[in-house]
Amino acid sequence: MTVQSVLSVQEQRLLLPLGEQTVTIPGHERAGRILRSFQNQRPKIDVERARLFTESFRQSEGEALILRWSKALLHIAKHITVYIDEDQLIVGRGGYTGRYGILYPELDGDYLDTAIRELPSRGQSPFDLTDEDARVIVNEISPYWKGKTFHEALADALPADTLKVTYDPEDPLKSRFIINETASFRSSIQWVHDYEKVLRIGYKGIKEEALREIDQLDPYSPVDNMEKLPFLQAIVNVSDAIVLWANRHSELASRQADEESNPVRQAELRKIAEISARVPEYPPRSFHEAVQSQWFVQMFSRLEQKTGTVISNGRMDQYLYPYYQQDIKLGHITDQEVIELLECVWNAMAQFLDLYISPTGGAFNEGYAHWEAVTVGGQTPGGLDATNELTYLMLQSKREFPLNYPDLAARIHTRSPERYLYEVAETIKEGSGFPKLINDEEVVPLLLAKGATFEEAYDYAVSGCAECRMPNRDTYTSPCAYINFAAAIEMTLRNGQMQRYPGEILGLETGDPQSFGSWELFFDAYKAQQKHFLKHAFIQQHAIIRLRSRHFAAPLSSSMHKLCLQNFKDIHEPHIEGGIDLGYFEFIGYGTVIDSLAAIKKVVYEDKRITMGQLIEALDRDFEGYEAIRQLLAHAPSYGNNDDYADSIAKELDEEALKFTRNYSKQLGVNLDLRYVPFTSHVPFGKVVAATPNGRKAYTPLADGSSASHGADKNGPTAVLLSNFYSKNYNYRERAARLLNIKLTPSCVDGEEGTLKLVSFIRTWSDLRLWHLQFNIINRQTLLDAQREPEQYRNLLVRIAGYSAYFTDLSEDLQNDLIRRTEHTAI
Amino acid sequence: MEHRQVQGNVFNIQRYSLHDGPGIRTVVFLKGCPLRCKWCSNPESWVTASEMYYDASKCISTEACGFCLSACQSRAIAKDYDSGKVKIDRRNCARGCLDCAAVCPSRAIDVYGKVMSVEEVLKIADQDSIFYQRSGGGLTLSGGEVTAQIEFAEELLARAKRRRIHTAIETCGYTSWNQLARLLPHLDMIHYDLKSLNEQAHLRFTGVTPYLIKENLKRLSQSFERSKMVVRTPVIPGFNDSAEAITELAEFVASLGGIRHELLKYHRYGSVKYDFLGRTYGLGQKELTEEFFAVLTGIVAQYH
Repeated sequence: MTVQSVLSVQEQRLLLPLGEQTVTIPGHERAGRILRSFQNQRPKIDVERARLFTESFRQSEGEALILRWSKALLHIAKHITVYIDEDQLIVGRGGYTGRYGILYPELDGDYLDTAIRELPSRGQSPFDLTDEDARVIVNEISPYWKGKTFHEALADALPADTLKVTYDPEDPLKSRFIINETASFRSSIQWVHDYEKVLRIGYKGIKEEALREIDQLDPYSPVDNMEKLPFLQAIVNVSDAIVLWANRHSELASRQADEESNPVRQAELRKIAEISARVPEYPPRSFHEAVQSQWFVQMFSRLEQKTGTVISNGRMDQYLYPYYQQDIKLGHITDQEVIELLECVWNAMAQFLDLYISPTGGAFNEGYAHWEAVTVGGQTPGGLDATNELTYLMLQSKREFPLNYPDLAARIHTRSPERYLYEVAETIKEGSGFPKLINDEEVVPLLLAKGATFEEAYDYAVSGCAECRMPNRDTYTSPCAYINFAAAIEMTLRNGQMQRYPGEILGLETGDPQSFGSWELFFDAYKAQQKHFLKHAFIQQHAIIRLRSRHFAAPLSSSMHKLCLQNFKDIHEPHIEGGIDLGYFEFIGYGTVIDSLAAIKKVVYEDKRITMGQLIEALDRDFEGYEAIRQLLAHAPSYGNNDDYADSIAKELDEEALKFTRNYSKQLGVNLDLRYVPFTSHVPFGKVVAATPNGRKAYTPLADGSSASHGADKNGPTAVLLSNFYSKNYNYRERAARLLNIKLTPSCVDGEEGTLKLVSFIRTWSDLRLWHLQFNIINRQTLLDAQREPEQYRNLLVRIAGYSAYFTDLSEDLQNDLIRRTEHTAI
Repeated sequence: MEHRQVQGNVFNIQRYSLHDGPGIRTVVFLKGCPLRCKWCSNPESWVTASEMYYDASKCISTEACGFCLSACQSRAIAKDYDSGKVKIDRRNCARGCLDCAAVCPSRAIDVYGKVMSVEEVLKIADQDSIFYQRSGGGLTLSGGEVTAQIEFAEELLARAKRRRIHTAIETCGYTSWNQLARLLPHLDMIHYDLKSLNEQAHLRFTGVTPYLIKENLKRLSQSFERSKMVVRTPVIPGFNDSAEAITELAEFVASLGGIRHELLKYHRYGSVKYDFLGRTYGLGQKELTEEFFAVLTGIVAQYH
């Protein structure tokens, strides 16, 4: 089985090599030249950030953490190499020219020395490292961090029962992939800054505010001295740091301009010099300055800390719009130049790779994928439609330029204009599947229910993969648990044990399933296992929330956050007054669990085609010699078909999890909401789960997000949406993102009529209040894959007027005929 | 009326259908057809009763399973020693018992056709109706020939209409006018198949002459809103794939005034189902080129 066929659309897309063929698109010459300079390049690791960060930390032992972090950023700003890439108009990078990743020893410094040896040779996403850089890691970086990292402290803090479902008790670096904490491979969950604040007052303004606050401190107050003063000094330091770092680009650009013989490039360099001297210290005067200011903040955030999926870009079509409007009005810029600048940013994003050293982090984020979402559309803080000319330019840029970045997210609401949806649909049709869609009709009421104001809720930004943030109101950054509920199915069948970890009691001993006389008893046993998993997930979270602020600080992020500044508290503090703490836990393997339960209910208890004993025997042997049983199970009712038999089980599982968090997240003082967003974790999670009663073979991937099991959705995309709708519990505010990927054949979207039907499909998705949706337009390659692996593609429908069939049912000859047709017409 | 439990035999309900009327539709395929078109892509629609079919590619071998061998009381299923799978001798099959399909775990042996009540079908349409609202879609009855189950079709359409669901049918037109007329009050749209005006060819390729089909179409054009009718002609190699034949059809449709005429390109994707049913596909490997199909489409366009 290839990895490609099991990853979600977005993942597949982000994993694609950057432009296999040489890109020359008229009107996009500059973007094409920049792209060619790094396409197909093997990424390099740059250790500079890690070395400088460590150097500074050696010097600042004993001081307040936020102050130490700000000093480290100042040290980095002073000494890190600055670059200006050929042809680039936007500057600022965190490492070597080309594709690169950087290191965060505060997360993994203690084992970095051993881990780096494997990086150049590892199968998934290898990185190159120079001998000199390797020497720096072994001699200068790693030794300092031993005994100091968060993951070491967390392993020490977890109770034994929780520890054994979290890590291999012998080696805490090895995840059990059962109840998986994600707080030790990143210092924050996905996050969005209030970029608008920097544009409005600049870092000069932010610094002056902090200095004013320092003046007003009570010099005799212990709290002011011990808490507020270090916080405010840290804000001053990071303000100085980012300005200094930007100004060094200005100096470099001036020097390069002096030496440049090409007058066109010379002028560009002079302009870069002028702009980098201006922003982000002062408010931008032009669109170009605004874009550069945002990018400096974006990139400096990457130097500050490792944010899950990389720091998101927020509502770019909103906060950049005033600058666009002004420049267009004054005739200072054309739409073509706007697109050129945006492409410079997209190119810069594409070169920075989200490098994971920890084996768990790597498994969660296979490939080089990162999700620094750019949000477009949606509503204004006043609740009006927010689309503008810049929205359409960003969509146009996505259609015209073949780059996987940015990860474009389109907010949809019931009054989204027809033109917007039409262009969104056209962009999706171009084949990339972008933009992904986020539904205001689901997100806004949930944010209100959590205590946000209308203004804040309407103004949310998409963050990371499918999440949402209110940049001045959200105050929760602790990464949360990803829970493998397919393992709970296995433990129900094996009385608390798993085939992968023989001899260990990992779950509850719910009894020998052969003694369960009814489906209800079996389902109760499963629910007990599920609850047991949640118990340990919440225990983990308790420890994580309390430990993190001793290990991580983020003065730059805090400098842009209203509530951090009001409370003089770093964003990583466990509680910030006035904030809304939107945490989560992930239900991984939803489709696998539902289908397994439905199969047991139907085949064992209702139809009595096999006994529980026969089922367990077949699972023990991974169905080898039990193919008839596997087929029986695989053909039981399954989720994703708008079949109440499976969907009612799905809804009950969802509600059980919601009830748990309704009871216990209050005690933690945060909202831990139920999500179904796996990244790529359904792949490593599958690798620990033996054969499951839905006919899934041992150690293969689980179902992803809230999508159906691979190939199980045989009634088409409307049935998938309806299954999702009928399995949600709309009376619980504890629900959050559900990732949903849908495959469409090209015929479904062919021509003008196809676009309009896609628009109406999206509108209905919004009416159904589903959270997320992303399409994958099936191409020739998908059909070839389906020919090779029919099991994974049982759901591929061939649609022709008056006729329908499953692709995998056709003979090879007819399949080939269809594949030939896919190039021009449609299926 | 509302309490009448009329049942019908349905061989497929296709959700998210995009090519059989406006918007996103649910197409209900009814079993039973008076025609036997050689190119038919839905041969499972011919007879009204449910019928067993066998897709050997899904059979997991008699060694791994063999349930059907013991389930079959009429010894119609035997082991095929060449493939290790089963072979079916349909002459011995007591058609209609379907015991083999009931035990087959991999659905290699399965059933075309399911008896459903009007209410069961409408439950699905009701759930899909949220998609109709945004797309202007609705319910389409197809087949087979929709009038082959006239009671069921009429009841289904009437009740759908009462629920404000947009309704359409696809018909081959080979039925008594009275039957067709019963459906009209409940219909928003009609797709009408017109295959050829050549009597000999029509008889040879479909088993019937076009006389009744042509007459019903004329009458329909007088009694149903013509803008809500679409005449569709499948272009079949060796049957009607000539400029002359298509011109003749286009002229005829144009003479009725204001009815859209569409050509459907021949495909042989249904041929695999003939194997499943133990029948022989009538047209072999004949192809219709894109280029020539475009020429024929151009002819029809001239009459619009």
